[in-house]
Amino acid sequence: MVEALRPRVGAFGEYGGRFVPELLVPALEELERARREVLPSREFRAELSLLLEEWAGRPTPLSTVPSFSERCELEVVFKREDLLHGGAHKTNNVAGQALMAKLMGKKRVIAETGAGQHGTATAMAAARLGLEAVIYMGEKDMERQASNVKRMELCGATVIPVTAGARTLKDAINEALRDWTKNLETTHYLLGTVCGPHPYPRLVRDFQAVIGREARSQWRKRFGGLPDAVVACVGGGSNAIGIFHAFVPKKRVKLIGVEPGGEGVHTKKHGATLVAGTTGLLHGARTSVLQDDEGQILEAHSVSAGLDYPGVGPEHAYLRDSGRAQYLAITDGEALDAFEKLSELEGIIPAFEPAHALAFLMKAVREDALPKGARVLMNLCGRGDKDLDTYFTHFAHLKKRHA
Amino acid sequence: MSRALLKKRLAEGPQVSPFLVLGDPTPELSLELAKTAVAAGAGMIEIGFPYGDPVADGPAIQKADMRALEAGTSTSKAIGILARIHEACPKTPLNLLVYGNLVHARGFARFCHDVVHAGASSLLVPDICLEESKPLTKACRRARLGHVQLVGPLTSPERLKRIDGAATSFIYLVAHQGVTGVRGGDFDDVEALVHRTAWQLKNPLCVGFGLSKPEQIRRVFKAGAGLAVVGSYLAGVIEQNARGDHLLKAFDEALRPLVDWH
Repeated sequence: MVEALRPRVGAFGEYGGRFVPELLVPALEELERARREVLPSREFRAELSLLLEEWAGRPTPLSTVPSFSERCELEVVFKREDLLHGGAHKTNNVAGQALMAKLMGKKRVIAETGAGQHGTATAMAAARLGLEAVIYMGEKDMERQASNVKRMELCGATVIPVTAGARTLKDAINEALRDWTKNLETTHYLLGTVCGPHPYPRLVRDFQAVIGREARSQWRKRFGGLPDAVVACVGGGSNAIGIFHAFVPKKRVKLIGVEPGGEGVHTKKHGATLVAGTTGLLHGARTSVLQDDEGQILEAHSVSAGLDYPGVGPEHAYLRDSGRAQYLAITDGEALDAFEKLSELEGIIPAFEPAHALAFLMKAVREDALPKGARVLMNLCGRGDKDLDTYFTHFAHLKKRHA
Repeated sequence: MSRALLKKRLAEGPQVSPFLVLGDPTPELSLELAKTAVAAGAGMIEIGFPYGDPVADGPAIQKADMRALEAGTSTSKAIGILARIHEACPKTPLNLLVYGNLVHARGFARFCHDVVHAGASSLLVPDICLEESKPLTKACRRARLGHVQLVGPLTSPERLKRIDGAATSFIYLVAHQGVTGVRGGDFDDVEALVHRTAWQLKNPLCVGFGLSKPEQIRRVFKAGAGLAVVGSYLAGVIEQNARGDHLLKAFDEALRPLVDWH
């Protein structure tokens, strides 16, 4: 029985807003001022674009993938965010926010991380820009993504294990918010996705939108026109918003977000917030969440630590309701299968997260989600190095059985 | 009416209010703890509904929430316990502290209606700040439930005025920038903050976060507070005694010196 409620600050329709304790408001106001004053300045934009180019490796290329395309009966093109410094799209946002934090006079950045990609990118950017970095990571995720923990520590960051709740991303965000409340005068909370209270969903989107802007212009130059569809995986939703944003006004381009279906959206073990969630308040925003009837947040489940989150960026909930984007779920098994297929067919080892989007493409024609031969731009948002331990420990033996 | 009860009690002079999470350590014992608090002389009780993601709380109250949830305390059950506390202690104002998503999931109007009928005097939703609080203020007003709002050490005078204008019953000042939890060390800053805040308000001022000693309570009252909440310290006492037979005795012994602050 949820009544109509329109947030007052930073709304996306009935989603978004600023649902936080009063203690955080001064920090969010300071951040909003910086977003309006620092970001548009010529100096900031010049410095960020240099950092993205010479340190992070932008622009990332588009890749055609003939064998994978043939297997899908589609014309698939990847936006190669897996080639970005750090191994995923996370670096775009981190470079922007870390630079901003420095200009705001902050000495310390904190971040939450699930798969460890955002934590790694934060540790790297903090090292580059001379900031102290503290990363909160669920204990369970630290086990699943041990190599990323080592990368963060190598770059001089402190990784703090979070033992509350399900010991994953949601709990790491809670802990980061608590740290920020205590230390907001010296510290910037470098939130890694398009969730959270206003202005984060817009701030992170604006730093990630470079993906779609670049891809649209590369596509036009190389293939002409626009793709028929743009596809990305959705956990918190930053890589998807990043590639969607430039295409939102282009109404004839289908936007498709792929969520983690875990063991199936009809089981309790999934993280498909947009497909199977209900409206609630989580981490500062009104959005689609996984919760029980009384509003207790449920645990999300996914083979991919980066998608294992019971909330989602409020703008995605808005795009879903308005019909501009469609969202569907892919199971762990389907994603693992796609992870293997892409490695075999193209010599590209994807992260488990974009493997969900790949799995959708592998069945899209068969299930009438896309017409045969459709031209699809997919955000290959991260590379699979971080997932190899998990894969070889838990899943590689299954492959032989399938063969 | 419960809201009037709160107003009357605040007019009687400074009040010490223990904070209890409903259902901690079990629904039955949490009812007994509330009765013990009133018998020990607590003028009112601050009551939390257990929530799995309490971002404003430190470890002691997080654990209290978890104990209550593990004992099966849903929102519906919490409202049932609330009604029984009100029945047992009809003259004690019961001030609720409930995280936003629990209120949102039930619907603001229905939540306020249900808790007023169970005997609540006021409601504080710690994670709905001024900007987003209008629908909640409206629901509280319709249900004749006091709407308490949080302010902190960094809240500007201009904002304090707006929050004071929107709140009914009292303003809850967080004494330290941070989450709930017992703190030692220098208390001069808190005293100065309470003093600075109290004189700007039309509503009575409640002070919480970090209080655990009679001396601290004496100082916040002297500085102008009308209400002092003790939470994490008591949650720690409950944690240490949750499985023993001496829970109520230990709780009583911890609370009495705080209530007898003068």
